[in-house]
Amino acid sequence: MTPLVEFQCVSFAYENRNVIRDLDAAIFAHECIALVGPNGAGKTTLLRLASGTLTPARGKVMLKSRALDGLKQREIARSVAFVPQNVEVPFSFTVGQFVEQGRTPFLKMFGGLCGADYEAVRRAMELTDTWSLRGRVFNQLSGGERQRVKIALGLAQEPRLLLLDEPMQHLDIGRQFEMIDLIDTLRGEGIAIVASMHDLALIEGTFSSVWLMSPDAPMQQGPPARMLRPEIIEDAFRCLPRHRPRLLEHARGRMERAL
Amino acid sequence: MTGEVTSSRAGTVHGRGQDHRHRWLLGILAALLVVAVLIATGMGAVHVPVLAMMRSMTGSGSLSADQRIILFNIRLPRVLAALLVGSALSVSGLLFQGLFRNPLADPYIIGSSGGAVCGASIGVFLLPPLSIAGFSTTALLAFAGALGSITLVYWLARVDGRTPVVTLLLAGFAVSTMLSYSSYFLEVLDRDFGTGMRVLASWLHGTIAQPTWPQLSIVTVMFAVGLAGSVPLARKLNTLALGEEYATHLGLSVQQIRIAVIVIGSILTAAAVALGGLISFTGLIIPHMLRIVVGPDHVRLLPATALAGALFLLVADTVARTAIAPAELPVGVLTAFIGGPFFLYLLRKSKHEVMS
Repeated sequence: MTPLVEFQCVSFAYENRNVIRDLDAAIFAHECIALVGPNGAGKTTLLRLASGTLTPARGKVMLKSRALDGLKQREIARSVAFVPQNVEVPFSFTVGQFVEQGRTPFLKMFGGLCGADYEAVRRAMELTDTWSLRGRVFNQLSGGERQRVKIALGLAQEPRLLLLDEPMQHLDIGRQFEMIDLIDTLRGEGIAIVASMHDLALIEGTFSSVWLMSPDAPMQQGPPARMLRPEIIEDAFRCLPRHRPRLLEHARGRMERAL
Repeated sequence: MTGEVTSSRAGTVHGRGQDHRHRWLLGILAALLVVAVLIATGMGAVHVPVLAMMRSMTGSGSLSADQRIILFNIRLPRVLAALLVGSALSVSGLLFQGLFRNPLADPYIIGSSGGAVCGASIGVFLLPPLSIAGFSTTALLAFAGALGSITLVYWLARVDGRTPVVTLLLAGFAVSTMLSYSSYFLEVLDRDFGTGMRVLASWLHGTIAQPTWPQLSIVTVMFAVGLAGSVPLARKLNTLALGEEYATHLGLSVQQIRIAVIVIGSILTAAAVALGGLISFTGLIIPHMLRIVVGPDHVRLLPATALAGALFLLVADTVARTAIAPAELPVGVLTAFIGGPFFLYLLRKSKHEVMS
């Protein structure tokens, strides 16, 4: 099976600061990957490389066995949707108008949206439960609604792969579980997902694998049960034992009880 | 525009109501514009009755020779000039606001009008009157001036891919002040005092001078090119509103859009300045008012802005030339009186943005 997106020995640096070094990894259809790692480990950079908005300094990113740098961004955006962390919109666009922008990669030079485009927009909004918000002004939405609407824009691209940059950011606990439910729904639709996550407690049960990035070590990957073990997490996040996050204490306690 | 047609058929996202309302708005604006043109053409020192005017258009000729001369050599050119200036300023304001992602951008505020005046002054004071492919050097230099100043302000005002209000206003202020005084400087260099000085004074006040038909035809061509160029940009400005990185991801070539908006906005600014000089705030008020009525969608805003801008400046110019007759008020004074407070209100409203 050919992977949807494949990183072949990819390196990337911002002004001499190496962020990603010799990364080899593949994203397959139906996968749901949690991107985990300390701040500055390169999670957003990896998502941008996969979406074609950044080009690797060395190595190649392949989309369905074609090199990304040989494809037009329009073509990439029809297969890969990137949902950024923060979106600032200067004017009072409605939710409907906002989500319609997801059809941009399908529009001709002079044409507007046609029936099929509106169908895709509607479907994206129904999946994310934002159809009822379509007349509201995007800037006036709450954090949770805004997050769902951003994902609706990504889904309007009818992507095979959805890249979510910190989808849980600024969400209260109830909205976090809604987001987890939404990710489950999208998996059911056959869309591969890569999401950068800070809250490790939300990963198990929903995500099929974890990619653990840390600043000076190669990326490690594996199923959540294997990757979210205290010693691995501690090492990657450089937690001193006395500053160990509470979550890990729980995990350790659970393991000790199990042993 | 095809989008609206199909959207009303599919009726999925916006529903029919909005499309309907939008068409009504365009119809009302067009009707008002026709009425305003008829009234404005009749008004002035010599009254030309509207009915007689319309009858003469259909060929039954009931106007006197004097009335005919006044109509075709004075009134109609002036009315047409006001329409072109208002429309060009408003559309370029709309384009610049979309590019800067900032509702406070306006050709006057961000210095592109100043650049056009400065460029035109070079033509008036330093160069012999020439024409290249039918365009006077003055018009071409106005375009070059607008292009240069907007590029400079854009480059100065951007911080990390955004254009905060503070840097936009400061860069626009600094650049347009330098350009205005450069125009004065050019005036001092001018050795044959006279026409050039008067032309510059009327530009800096923002007066729609009495245009000649050749001048008008040049500006009409510039306006038509500018407007036609804006049409494919409108939808792209909607996408650009999401931010440059996001727009790039969605397949927009941001660099190309940026260049296209700057060039087309400058053509429109130069067209407006060639006839009316520095007319402030029109490009700010009109798009903003319409945003309240039709929302921020640039595809809808563009035709409405073009019509409403023409209507606004025609009314303003007619008031300016008749209110204190026989003297004439520069229309720039009037738009500054209306637009200035409006601008301050907008600035106050967006102060949270200013702080950032």
